[in-house]
Amino acid sequence: MIIDQLEAPLSGSLMPTLPGHSYTDPDLFALEQEKIFEQMWNCVLRADELTAPGDWRVVTVGRERIIVTRNRRRQLRAYYNVCRHRGMRVCTEDAGNARTLQCGYHAWTYDLDGTLIAAPNLTKMPDVDRESYGLRKVAVREWLGYVWLCLAEDPPSFEETVLGEVSDRMGTTHSIDSYGIDGLKVGKRISYDVQANWKLIIENFMECYHCATIHPELTEVIPEFAEGWASQAGEKIHGAAFGEEVRGFTVDGSAGVSTLPTIAPDQDRKYYAITVRPQVFINMVPDHVIWHRMTPVSESRTLVECDWLFLPEVVDAGTDVSRSVELFHRVNEQDFDACEKTQPAMSSRSYAGGGALVPSEHHIAGFHAWVQEVLGG
Amino acid sequence: MRRVCALNDLEPGEGLRIDDTSPPIAVFLTEEGTVHAIDDTCTHQDASLAAGWVEDCRVECPLHASAFSLLTGEADQPPARRPVRVHRAEVHDGEVWVEVSTAAPNLPPGVTLP
Repeated sequence: MIIDQLEAPLSGSLMPTLPGHSYTDPDLFALEQEKIFEQMWNCVLRADELTAPGDWRVVTVGRERIIVTRNRRRQLRAYYNVCRHRGMRVCTEDAGNARTLQCGYHAWTYDLDGTLIAAPNLTKMPDVDRESYGLRKVAVREWLGYVWLCLAEDPPSFEETVLGEVSDRMGTTHSIDSYGIDGLKVGKRISYDVQANWKLIIENFMECYHCATIHPELTEVIPEFAEGWASQAGEKIHGAAFGEEVRGFTVDGSAGVSTLPTIAPDQDRKYYAITVRPQVFINMVPDHVIWHRMTPVSESRTLVECDWLFLPEVVDAGTDVSRSVELFHRVNEQDFDACEKTQPAMSSRSYAGGGALVPSEHHIAGFHAWVQEVLGG
Repeated sequence: MRRVCALNDLEPGEGLRIDDTSPPIAVFLTEEGTVHAIDDTCTHQDASLAAGWVEDCRVECPLHASAFSLLTGEADQPPARRPVRVHRAEVHDGEVWVEVSTAAPNLPPGVTLP
C-alpha cells in the first residue's frame, strides 16, 4: 500500500520540506525572480574588478542584465543594459572600458552617469530631456569589498536588510568586520554551473547533516561537523572548532597562510558560516574568507561563483594557497553533486509532497517559511 | 569680447554648451585649469562637443570619437576631417570672456545657421 505523503502528518523529530514542484515549476521560478531576486539586494561583483573611470561589466540580476561602471569620479553606477531609444543592448560584451556608453544601433550615447549626452540630430530635438531619457538607474552599494545591486523601484534599506541580517545572525556586525573582508584580495575564483534549483543549494549550505557522508576532508578538519550541526544551525551562528591536530583550514589540515590580523580571539581556529539571503554565503576562517554568490538561471540551473579571499600581501607574493582552495573546492563539488542528484527527483511523484527535515535541519523550515511569505503564501 | 559664463559654472574636465550664440560654442575647463572655447558642433555629424570627454587638451566627440584639439581645433582621426573653430577665451575676475572667431564655421551636413 502506498502511503499518501500529503496526508501523513509529520510530528516530533521531523518537519516537512517544500513540496517537489517548488523546485521544478518554471512559473514559480519566475515569481521568485520577480519577488525575491528583483526586489532584494544582490551581490554581483568584487569592487576591485572595476577600478578606473569607465571600467564596466555587465551582470545578471533576476531576469535583467545590468551595466555596472565607475564614473569620472570613480563612483559606482549601475544601469539597465537597455537603450532608451529602441531597446538594443547598449553593452554587447561582458566587460570593457569606455568614455561613454553608446548603443551600437543608432548611436544613442550616454555618459558614465547615465545621462543621454549625444545622438544623431539630438541638438535638433531640444524637447528630449537628457535625464529622463538617460539609462534607467539601478541602486548600487559597496560593502565588504563587493558591489551590491537592487532593482526594486523603492529599494529596501541596505542597513536594515543586508546588514541587519548579518548582525542578527552573528551577534553584531563587528564580528564580521574583524575579518577585514573589504581589504582582502581574491586569490582564487572558481565558477560552478550547477544543474539544480537555487533553493536546493541554499538548503544544502544551511545544514551539516550531510557533512560526515559527503565531506570527508571537511569533517577531518572540523570533527564536530560529524555530529551534523552546521555553524548556522542555532539562533546565532557558532564557531565550529578545528580538530586538535589540525593546523589550518586546508585540504590536509596542514598550516594555512598568514592569519588575518584583526580577528577576535574567539575567531581563531574556528569556522563561521552565514547565509545572506537571497544569494550569498560567507565562510570565515582565521586566514581566509570563502565567498559564494549565486545567480539563478532557471528552475533547474544556478551559476555559483566562489572567491577565496586572502590578505593582499599573500596574493601579491604569489604564496601557494592551493591547499586552502582545494578544501572548499572539494566541498563545493561534493555539495553541488548532491544538489544535482537531488534536482531530477524533485519532479518524481514520490516526492510530490516533499520530504523531511531532521532536528539539525529544522532551521531550514525558517527559510521555507520566508520564501513562501515573500511569494505571497 | 563677450562674457559667456562664470568660471564657477565650469567643472574641471567638463564642457559647457553656450547656445545663445550662432552656432553654439563649447567652453571647457581642463583638469589642468586652463579655459578654452571652440564651436560646439562636431564637423562630422550634429553632436554637442560640450558633452565630450576632455583629456590632454582635446575633446572627444561623444558620437564617433574624433577628438578635437582645444588649441588648434584640428580633429585627430576620422570620421571628422575638418577642424572646428577655436575662439579666444580669457578669464577676468571669475568671469569667462570669449572672442568669437570671424572665420566661417565648418558645420556638419544638415546643420545650417538660422
